[in-house]
Order: sequence, then C-alpha cells, then structure tokens
Amino acid sequence: MAIRDEDILKIDPPPMNRLEGVYLPEVIKGFGTTMRHFFTSFGQGRTSRTIQYPEQRREHFKPEDGGIEPSNFRGVHRLNRDEAGRVKCVACMMCPTICPAKCIHIEAAESPWDDREKYPRKFEIDELRCIFCGMCEEACPVDAIELTTEYDVVGLSRAEMVFDKEKLLNVYDVTINKKPM
Amino acid sequence: MDTPSFLTAQVLVSIAVLVIFVHVILGIVTYSIYLERKISAYIQDRIGPNRVGFDFGLPFLKFLRGCFGLGQPLADGIKFFLKEDYTPDKVDKALFTLAPMTIVVPALIGFAVIPWGGVWHINQFTIPILNWTIAGGDVVIAGANVNVGIIYMLAVASLGVYGVTLGGWASNNKYSFLGGLRSTAQMLAYEIPLGLSLLCVLLVTGTVVPDGIIRYQVEHGWLLFAMPVAATIFFISILAEANRAPFDNAEAEQELVGGYHTEYSSMRFALFFLAEYAHMTTSCAFFALLFLGGYHLPASWIAGPGHVFSPENVTLLGVLAKCGVYLTKVVLLICFMMVIRWTLPRMRFDQVMMMAWQAVIPIALATVVLTSVLVYLDLTDLLPMLAANILLAGFIVGIYPLLPKYNPNRKIPLYGSRFNPVPGERVSTRPTDPMALEDRPIEGTAKPA
Repeated sequence: MAIRDEDILKIDPPPMNRLEGVYLPEVIKGFGTTMRHFFTSFGQGRTSRTIQYPEQRREHFKPEDGGIEPSNFRGVHRLNRDEAGRVKCVACMMCPTICPAKCIHIEAAESPWDDREKYPRKFEIDELRCIFCGMCEEACPVDAIELTTEYDVVGLSRAEMVFDKEKLLNVYDVTINKKPM
Repeated sequence: MDTPSFLTAQVLVSIAVLVIFVHVILGIVTYSIYLERKISAYIQDRIGPNRVGFDFGLPFLKFLRGCFGLGQPLADGIKFFLKEDYTPDKVDKALFTLAPMTIVVPALIGFAVIPWGGVWHINQFTIPILNWTIAGGDVVIAGANVNVGIIYMLAVASLGVYGVTLGGWASNNKYSFLGGLRSTAQMLAYEIPLGLSLLCVLLVTGTVVPDGIIRYQVEHGWLLFAMPVAATIFFISILAEANRAPFDNAEAEQELVGGYHTEYSSMRFALFFLAEYAHMTTSCAFFALLFLGGYHLPASWIAGPGHVFSPENVTLLGVLAKCGVYLTKVVLLICFMMVIRWTLPRMRFDQVMMMAWQAVIPIALATVVLTSVLVYLDLTDLLPMLAANILLAGFIVGIYPLLPKYNPNRKIPLYGSRFNPVPGERVSTRPTDPMALEDRPIEGTAKPA
C-alpha cells in the first residue's frame, strides 16, 4: 500500500541545550553508564546475566533469575506409559490435527489390548519441524503426549531428529523422575 | 677485518628495536581483539571469551584449560588460516590482492620513529667472530632516529586510506565501493584537524624530533594538561583516521554489509582486521608521545632524581622500565578507545562530515591561533596555557547558540518524486497496485457497493 501524506508522522528531535550541543559532556555521561555496567558485571558480578551453560543449567535457577519453571516449560516430547508399561496413546488423531507445524505422524492400528480400540503402530514427531507450542499436550484426551523440561536435544542428521515411538517412550523412562505425570 | 662504517651502535640497536617491537605490536594487536571482546562483554553484562585455553585437548596440559579465554586469539588466527581464501569472479585481481598489503604496511611502519625507551648509553663492544669493534655512545631506542619524526608520522598516517579505497574499488561491489568512498572523504576531512592540533604541539615544543617532544614535556609538564582542547581534537581525529567507532562509517554493517572488506575472506580479511588494530595502536602511541609525555612518568618526587623513569637514566634497566611505561600508556589508551566504541552510537555520515568541517576544523584553527599568540607572548607554561584553553572552551560553548542553525534531520525531497515533482507533472498518491486499493480504499476512490 502506498503511504499517503496524512499517514506520515513528522517527528522533530527535541532541541539540544548549550551543553548538549557541544556533545562532549553528554559523551562523558555515557562513559559513566558504560563503566558502571563494566564494573558491576566484571567477573560475573551483580549485573552479569550469563549462565555458564554446560556446568550450570537453567533448571538450577529460579524463573526470575533466568531459570525455567518445570511445570510449564515446553521442551522435547515424550509418550507416557500407563501402569502396565504400555503406551498410553489411543491414536485418536487429536494431536496431528491440532499441530500447527504438522510434525506429528501417527499410524493407527487395532489395539491388541481390551481397554481401547486403537493404538499407534507408528508415532513419529519431527523435532526439527516442531515449534514447541504445546497444543498436542492440550489436545490429548488421555494425557499420553507431554512436553518435558529437556531442551538440549541434538542429532547428527535430520533423520535422527525424527523421534519414533520407541524413542519417545524412552524419553518418558528417562524423564519420569524429573517431571512426574 | 675492518668494521664497516655504516655499522654504528645506533644501527644495531635500531634493528633490534624493530625486530622486537614488530612482534610486540602484533602481540598487542591480537590481544587487543581479545581485550575488545572482553570489554564489550562486561559493558553489555556478558562474560566474553572464557573457554579457550592452551591445553589443546591434551590431558597433561589440563592445568592450562580455561585461562580466562586467553587462547582465543590463537584459535581465531588458526580459523582465519584454514578458511577458504575466495576471490570473486569479477574483481580487479591485482588491486584486490594489493589492497590488504597496502593497508597493513602503513599501519605497521608508523612505529618506526617512536622513541619507546628514550636514550640508552652503550659502552664500546666487539662483535665476536667477525671482530668488529663498535664505538659506544648514547643511542635512542627507536626504529629510526630521524629528525623529521613527526612529519614522517603524518605522511604514513595519510597512506592508510589507500588500502581502504583500493579494497573498496577492486571488490566490484557497490557496498564496498560506498564504504571505500566514505572512508576516503572522512580521512581527508579529519587529516586537517589532526595536522592542526599537531601543529599546536610543534609550536610549543619547537621541535619535530619525537624524543625532543618528550623531553619538553618532562621539563614543562604533559601537554594534555597544557592544551586539553588540542588533545581532544587530536584524539577525535585519530579515532576518525583509524576508522573507529563512532566514525566507523566505512564498515557500517547496517547499511553497507561489511563496508570495504565485504568481499574479503580468510587471511586477507584478517589483514584488514589486523590493520585496523595496528592503526589504533600507532595512533595511541602517537597520542601518548604528543600529549602524555611518552615514556615519562612523573615519579621524581617519590623516587628522587635519576630514577628509572626519568630520561637522565640511561641504563638498560631504565630503558626497559620506560618501554614498559610507554606500552602501558598505549594499552590504556586502546582500552579507552574500546570503551568509546561500546558507548557511543555510530554517527551518520553527513553528521561526521558536518562535525569535521563545521566544528572540529574551526576549533582546531582557533587553537592554532591561540597557541601562536601564547608562543609569541612567551606564555607557554602550564597555567597560562590551561587558562587560555579553558577560556577557549567556554567561548565555544558561549557562542554555540548564536551560530546559524543547521537542521541535521531536514528532508530533501528527491527531484521528480511526488514530494518534489517536475514542473507540470500531475502528482497522484493513488496506489498503482489494484490489490492495495481493494485492501484499503483511499477516500473517494472506492467503488459504490
């Protein structure tokens, strides 16, 4: 759309007074600001915001200090197991439907168990496409899919980053102590 | 065998100083990159490089791991060597190769005339094997003890612009070209206040020999206190000459990608980088020489006359101590330049030029006139000079509101655009894209439903 003349907002900078006009006093004030930050953050001082990542992790801090709140942090997915150790998912297709990134692929099959009709024969999540919005978790009627607090997920190839059912169940086994159901 | 006539103690010492100080300067340059990253990190409440040590992944060197990230320059250097040295297809090959050399050489040869450690008294000695006897005497710890020292520095400083211009021109890239063009105009503009404020120093000291200027300051006090206005102008000018923030328009990332070194990669890019820091180091060394008393440290009231920092002390220990003092001053000035870079926003190019021609050059001219008058009246002591400078600064602040106003943000409508139409042209603000009209009809243009 073309910009019309009445849309143009003309803003004039406020006029400078005498001392501001010669710049140098304002420049020296600026040095004051930078040097205050320099000395207060020197050697990870009071104002330093750095987390020394591999040694310190965000879980070790409170949310107000840059840490994470485990109850609502959205990290990598897991597939929950029920009491019998089976996959909890009933392959209702709610999560692939709601998923805005279209990263969940489920192949449903007839369930071998009596308590449900379907179960996922294949359950794949492309972690590279996922935007970690947590909609799948919201949509799931049986609380089968959940987002954990794990955020440092790496892989050597794109194929490796597509998590299949076994891997997602494995994530459950690893993280069940950290984040109970 | 007879001793060759050109081989004097001064020549031998000069060669030694050159060999040693080229390495010292390159060391300062590599570690000033580390220093800049650290300073900027702390200013921005970060930490900066703190992982790369000297352990090279070897278990028995484990105690060298970390080291506050001091191994980072080494890693950066290795990275630069291992990267692909890419020459784009349509560049001017000869100039493209020449430009990094043209920028590094002036930045490095500027050090030749700096008297790092004052005078060293050397006794007569004999070179073994060749049996050449070298006469003793007083030698100056400088690469070249020439009488035109400061003039040489001015000449070399203005050569630095060639590398930038050539690099920008040879790259065959509009961003590089604009960067080179900008830096040429900027360096030409700031050469004038640089020379004028230098002239103030030369008027007062009455010599262009670097060691003579330092000796003058040893007797009469540092010139920073005697002429703060000239010192400020000199510092602003060397910032602009070294293409440092807030005058780094030649490499303004937001507008010009990388400026004049956009097309360079690998070690050739590193040479541009190295030249910038070497230029900074040279500039700081000359600022220390002209205004901060060079190797002089006013310690005679603590350590008594003839202490290691005084120019009368001509022993080897005194020379080394004075080199240390000089280098400390240079490093502190470099740190100050870095704090400036991370404090001030970059000036727009027209503001840079406006500042040079409308502010810095007139003030520099006024300083030269003032200094000439004071020299004529023989009032070159610290207090009258300082008083006159403070009066000048007050005068500048006083007359600022009386000067005609220039609006730096005025809009200049492009001729032929709808803001400044060609005579007779009908101007319409109606969008040409029909989709735009559908989206938000301009009043009166919407079709009746």
